[in-house]
Amino acid sequence: MRKQTGILSKLYIAACFAFFYLPIVVTVIFSFNSSKSLSRFSGFSMRWYASLLGNGEIVKAVYVSVTIAILATVISTVLGTMTAIGLSRQRKVLRDAILGMNDIPILNPDIVTAISWMLLFSSMGLQKGYLTMLLAHIGFCTPFVITSVYPKVRSLDPNLANAAMDLGATPAQALFRVIIPMIRPGIFAGALLAFTMSFDDFVISYFVTGNGVKNISIVVYNMTKRINPTINALSTIVIAVIFAILLVMSLLPKKAVSEGKVSSRSGVRGGKIRKWIAACVVIVIVAGLSALMYSGANAQPAVLRVYNAGEYVEPALLDQFQEEYNCTVIYETFESNEMMYTKLQAGDEYDILVPSDYMIERLIREDYLQPVDWSLIENKDAINPDIMNLSYDPGNVYSVPYFWGSVGILYDTTVVDEKDLEDGWNLLQNPKYAGNLYMYDSERDSFMVALKALGYSMNTSDEKEIREAYDWLIRQRDNMKPIYAGDDAMDNMIAGNKAISVTYSGDATYAISENEDLDYFQPEEGTNLWYDAMVITKNCENVELAHAFMDFMLREESAELNTLFIGYTTSVESVYEKMQEEDFEGIEAYVPRVGHPNDEIFAYQDAQTKKLYAELWTKVKAQ
Amino acid sequence: MRHFRKLSMPYLIWCIIFILIPLVLIVLYAFTTVGNHVISLNFSLANFAKINDPTYIRVFIKSFELGVITTIICFIGGYPLAFIISRQKESVQDLLILLVTVPTWINMLLRTYAWMNILADNGIINGLLSRLGLGQVTMMYTNFSVVLGMVCNFMPFMIIPIHTSLSKMDGSLIEAAMDLGANRLQTFRMVIFRLSMPGVINGVVMVFLMAISSFVIPKLLGGGQFVLIGNLIESQFISIGDWNFGSAISTILAVLILIAMRLMKSMDLKEAEAN
Repeated sequence: MRKQTGILSKLYIAACFAFFYLPIVVTVIFSFNSSKSLSRFSGFSMRWYASLLGNGEIVKAVYVSVTIAILATVISTVLGTMTAIGLSRQRKVLRDAILGMNDIPILNPDIVTAISWMLLFSSMGLQKGYLTMLLAHIGFCTPFVITSVYPKVRSLDPNLANAAMDLGATPAQALFRVIIPMIRPGIFAGALLAFTMSFDDFVISYFVTGNGVKNISIVVYNMTKRINPTINALSTIVIAVIFAILLVMSLLPKKAVSEGKVSSRSGVRGGKIRKWIAACVVIVIVAGLSALMYSGANAQPAVLRVYNAGEYVEPALLDQFQEEYNCTVIYETFESNEMMYTKLQAGDEYDILVPSDYMIERLIREDYLQPVDWSLIENKDAINPDIMNLSYDPGNVYSVPYFWGSVGILYDTTVVDEKDLEDGWNLLQNPKYAGNLYMYDSERDSFMVALKALGYSMNTSDEKEIREAYDWLIRQRDNMKPIYAGDDAMDNMIAGNKAISVTYSGDATYAISENEDLDYFQPEEGTNLWYDAMVITKNCENVELAHAFMDFMLREESAELNTLFIGYTTSVESVYEKMQEEDFEGIEAYVPRVGHPNDEIFAYQDAQTKKLYAELWTKVKAQ
Repeated sequence: MRHFRKLSMPYLIWCIIFILIPLVLIVLYAFTTVGNHVISLNFSLANFAKINDPTYIRVFIKSFELGVITTIICFIGGYPLAFIISRQKESVQDLLILLVTVPTWINMLLRTYAWMNILADNGIINGLLSRLGLGQVTMMYTNFSVVLGMVCNFMPFMIIPIHTSLSKMDGSLIEAAMDLGANRLQTFRMVIFRLSMPGVINGVVMVFLMAISSFVIPKLLGGGQFVLIGNLIESQFISIGDWNFGSAISTILAVLILIAMRLMKSMDLKEAEAN
């Protein structure tokens, strides 16, 4: 039956593996890129490996990912195998009930499972963190184990176990020596699936975790704003470790390996390899439990829980702050204002948030925030007066500005004719550039463009104007075939894949610094000015420390480090001026327009308008 | 034969806490309107009525289409690989299956970024083509790029269960079929393929479910215009904050999938009876 593999089969295996590993090879290559880009290779460098080692967040995330994946795999494999064996002997009603329920986590989209578990954990009063993440991972891994093991159990002859027991085996012996060895491939497959699912999960982990416990996926997703090859470096190391293990295993004397295998299959003698595996599992379990204890016993006197957008602070500043104020900063990140709001809604608690203008307005209205005590902010005068006292928070009662900017058009000067820029936003309807542009995949930003092009306010709630803007967007979609992209548009613009993109000024600054052919302009019809600011939540536990943190971020040295790291326009005036003369000299995008009569700030939208926007935007996109 | 029956009891309790209660919660959301308090619930079918709109129906159809195409390609590509692997020596089999799995341990987002980089207009493939003096091919933001990304990500989940079914197949059955005069094709069709059905069904279900609810891959490789059910649900829960409508969509999706799975299962049962 097992014959020599034909040349065709070998070719087929090779082709399949080439397909699976092509993206991995690319990932590995770009881990050695000397620039930040993930699409243009500009030279060999090890800098991302150095930054990986220096990044405590990633190192911690690796620890969480690995221990959670192993623990979840072990527990869900045991639980799932037990259940599968039990099910085959179970009464039909109960069996169907369990199998039916078991399908639900598999067939529900992750996001639904994630939200429902987030609500469950909140209502159970469990403190979110390592334990809740582990429980959730067991929850979505076990169904996969059961679906792999159960068919194997079903195909077993039920008389086998009976025969063993007739011959004098205890039920436990029958289980471990007869049944389990027979279903080993199913268990192996289930464990493999469970590990894979757990290791790569983002959505569920994100919503059920808290208190600063993050896995690799959470870190990666929050890096998308400024994705950089650090994470490629991490993947390369993971790959290298896996292949090293495989190599060692294949180099081990054949006898030892096969002995280990035989014994583990027959369950008679404990082979060396099995002992090793057992030892590893024990170590991981101990490590996981100690992490659990640690996360539960964060009894240090001063703790500050900060919730900020991804890649939106220079990590060294957090270290410096912790040292100076002898406190612990639990730092968590979000991908969008709405994601932050969803977590707040579910009752997650933080001390400091860094949302954008319209979200701050909403949080003030819904009573999530407490006023800032400006007497505690020594560096108050350092803030650029142009960005104080704006419509989202008149008098800055609740918010301390952090970064700000505008929205405009980033374009490739080698493709776009300078004269065409006179059309303002209607450049995005110029048939010359059909198929050559990115729109920002967010309903508010896209409607802003259309409303401004039509000469309306971007905060209108007049349905007639909104419908006109909708028609503008439909016309654009049909004639221009734009791509509705997210932050990935930046990398593509730098690589020169498309010529025009609707972009935030801060991202434009970065893109222009990477590719000199790019330039940025803000149409005369007006645009969106945006402001991100620090606010203190109502349930903040250490108000004084929270103020100290905001004050610390406004220091000239802090703001300078932060600006160099992020590249956005800072709220600290002296640094803002310095940057225009030094690092960002000649880059117009760094200097957002101030005082233009047509520019506006996003205002709070009532639920009705928001739904209308959302529905129309879905219609624009889903052609 | 009651031995081992109680082994499944812990999971029953687990199911009630972690599956049943959250499910009730979602269904409750689906049938109520915004602004409910625990004391007063407004039951309504408005969320379901809203889905009856050409735009949303098109989203459902497109998702099912892409899901089916991805599943078929994964099956056609994955079955032969699983089959070839199952013909190898035991140790080689384990190694190859591990090699199939390893790529999925690299973050999905990163692998998708790598594909963007390979397929882009100025990307690796087009760079090679232009060096060979051939024209540029647009691959990004098409059905092709989305399906390619999904196939690459989900194929292992087709291969593993099929391989599990094939690897422990009783060789004597195959020999018996051959002895009884079946040719290779007949043996494969009548014996091997039938016996691997549980694995095939497992793999098909898993890939289809992942394909139909995925939203990161279509978003990155297809652009925002690739609105699939997953994107729709995600935006209802996150950016719009209409959990009721989001719950209604996912309830409908779950019901549709349950029906599809029932059909698959009944096929499985027929197969089992035929054997």
